[in-house]
Amino acid sequence: MRLTDLIHQVSILLSLPIALLAGGMAAVIVIARDWRLVLFCYALLSATLAMLLAQVVPVEWGLLQAIVGGLVALICYRSARQVQGLTRTALLPDDGGQDIGLWPQMASLTSFRLMTVALLAVALFALRDQVHLPQLSPLLRDVVLWLAMVSLLGLALHEEPLHAGLALLTGLGGAELLLFTLIQRRMLVGLVMGGQVLLGLVVAYLVLARGLAGTVHSGREI
Amino acid sequence: MMGGVALLFACLFAAAGALYWLRRIEPVAALLAAGLTAMLALGLWKLPLGVPLRLAGRPVLLSQHVVWEDLSLQITPAAQALLVFLLSTGAVTFVLAWRTYQGRTFYPFGLMLLAFWAAAALMEPLTWTPLAMAASAVVAAFLIQAGKAGKTRGAWRQLLFPTLAVPVFLVAGWYIDQGALNPDNPTPYQEAGWLLIVGFILLLQPAPVHVAMPAVAEQAPPVVSAFLWIGHQATVLFLLQRFLVSYPWLAADIDSAQWLLWLGVLTALVGGILSAVQGTLGRFLGYASLYDYGVLLVAMGLRGTAGLPTVIWLLLTRSIALLTLATGAAAVRHHMEGDGLEQIAGAASRLPWSVMALTVGGFALAGMPLTAQFASRWAVWQLVAENDPRWALLLLCGACGVLIGTVRVGRACFGRLSGSPVEREPATLALLALGLVLGNALLGLFPQLLTEPVAAVILPLSTFGP
Repeated sequence: MRLTDLIHQVSILLSLPIALLAGGMAAVIVIARDWRLVLFCYALLSATLAMLLAQVVPVEWGLLQAIVGGLVALICYRSARQVQGLTRTALLPDDGGQDIGLWPQMASLTSFRLMTVALLAVALFALRDQVHLPQLSPLLRDVVLWLAMVSLLGLALHEEPLHAGLALLTGLGGAELLLFTLIQRRMLVGLVMGGQVLLGLVVAYLVLARGLAGTVHSGREI
Repeated sequence: MMGGVALLFACLFAAAGALYWLRRIEPVAALLAAGLTAMLALGLWKLPLGVPLRLAGRPVLLSQHVVWEDLSLQITPAAQALLVFLLSTGAVTFVLAWRTYQGRTFYPFGLMLLAFWAAAALMEPLTWTPLAMAASAVVAAFLIQAGKAGKTRGAWRQLLFPTLAVPVFLVAGWYIDQGALNPDNPTPYQEAGWLLIVGFILLLQPAPVHVAMPAVAEQAPPVVSAFLWIGHQATVLFLLQRFLVSYPWLAADIDSAQWLLWLGVLTALVGGILSAVQGTLGRFLGYASLYDYGVLLVAMGLRGTAGLPTVIWLLLTRSIALLTLATGAAAVRHHMEGDGLEQIAGAASRLPWSVMALTVGGFALAGMPLTAQFASRWAVWQLVAENDPRWALLLLCGACGVLIGTVRVGRACFGRLSGSPVEREPATLALLALGLVLGNALLGLFPQLLTEPVAAVILPLSTFGP
């Protein structure tokens, strides 16, 4: 048995646990404040999406999602680590060199985000049968819906580029499940995956730009 | 034989790469970028599309198809008009950016933006074109941030909506393909129609999803903002026209004209009213431009025999109005302590030509007499009033808002200079500002100067034929 066949069969056999894991990871991306946890969850979400994609497109194409997701997580990790280091050591004139703890800035409490995600889950269970997405199995339909809803919630709740950017990428990951089921073209897979890497680059750049605001680096060219 | 598409993209991307390394020598970068785009615009305007040519000893066919798996790109007469417009706007903007301190990375990234807008205009399948718009939004995010640590709201908002539009268009494309398999079943076309409306709302960003424009205006250098709006909005309207011509059921079943009219009037009203009450130059620029964009959407909604020429006319006149306002705003913002209305007091005494450009640009966006936009706006109001006089009244309310905003900004510039010394505007900047003001006055007095260029592109844009 070839490795690709093995991955394909595993993805079919473990569909439900993989889908639940993907949903859980997407929820953590929106709820958690800690940037390491959020990036780890995004990388794991990409791996689970790759497994789910392996059910609908050739396994090699699906695995691209894991590679791209890992790459984006790595790029963002470098930026986030740099910002974390700089904000720790940054000396603001009236701060006396203390840890200023500026980053990441969140506009809401973790408990509030947890509650909104829980409400969203209730909404999904109430509405999922009324939504028709063409060509998708009910399980994949629920995953796509959940990722889209969580992504929109993340975009509404977060202004911090890392969290908002990962929320956007989460939504795009869900949309890929639908898109690649409907349109199985190698060129489209390549363009969408390439677009995700570019998006990851911009997110990492904006993480740096915003993270350095309010420190001694504010206003300088980055 | 080399195709025009390959030549165009090779020139733009190679020059972008080279200018990135030359960006620290700003005059060279600016003049090279302006020279290249002007040359490409001139070449595309003058050279025939369907006749083989010899360029540097090599055979070139400008209209040749470039096919890459499922993608194909071709310069059609309609796309040729848009390319000439975008490239010539780019040439003017690169010169203005050099004297108004817009950031050194503008030249390479500006060329890349032009390449992505061109790709969107030339690309087939049609429903894949938002991929190029999303790529242009990625590049625009770097331009808006301009290498500065600080707020990221403008860059993020500019990026968000085109990215969200991509899956919507792609799913719509699948429905369109399904509709073609079973022409008797209207459901796939209806689904595709609604998805395309959502997709175009995300790409056009009218009110109430207009949040990117004020945020970009607040954060980005003003001339960069104006360039982004002119290019992005012209390309999206071009795509909309391509969709409407390629899929006639979109206009018939969904009543897209009515949607555009409503959204346009709402956008113009929101932009006009809010531009009257802004406390900073950047946000005034954003909302005044939003008003102008609303009027453009209204003209697009009118379509028909008079609507399309009016849209083309407006696109040309708004470009000069926006660039005039942005040049004045950029100079004032750079030389004064900030762009708050209380911080620009006294600008008129040190930067007289820039302040003149600022006020003339504001008046032009309001559609005042003796400015570039007067005649084109008059035409829009007449057409709108024929449909429903209440809409014309709402547009007039918006124009009053922009007018009040311009007067407030102008008054602020005429106040007393604050303590810190302000450098006088350089002679080249004064000359550029004067040129733009005179250009506005010339088009205000002789609007018929644009008749020929507008007439030349009506047929290709209304049919999208070869």
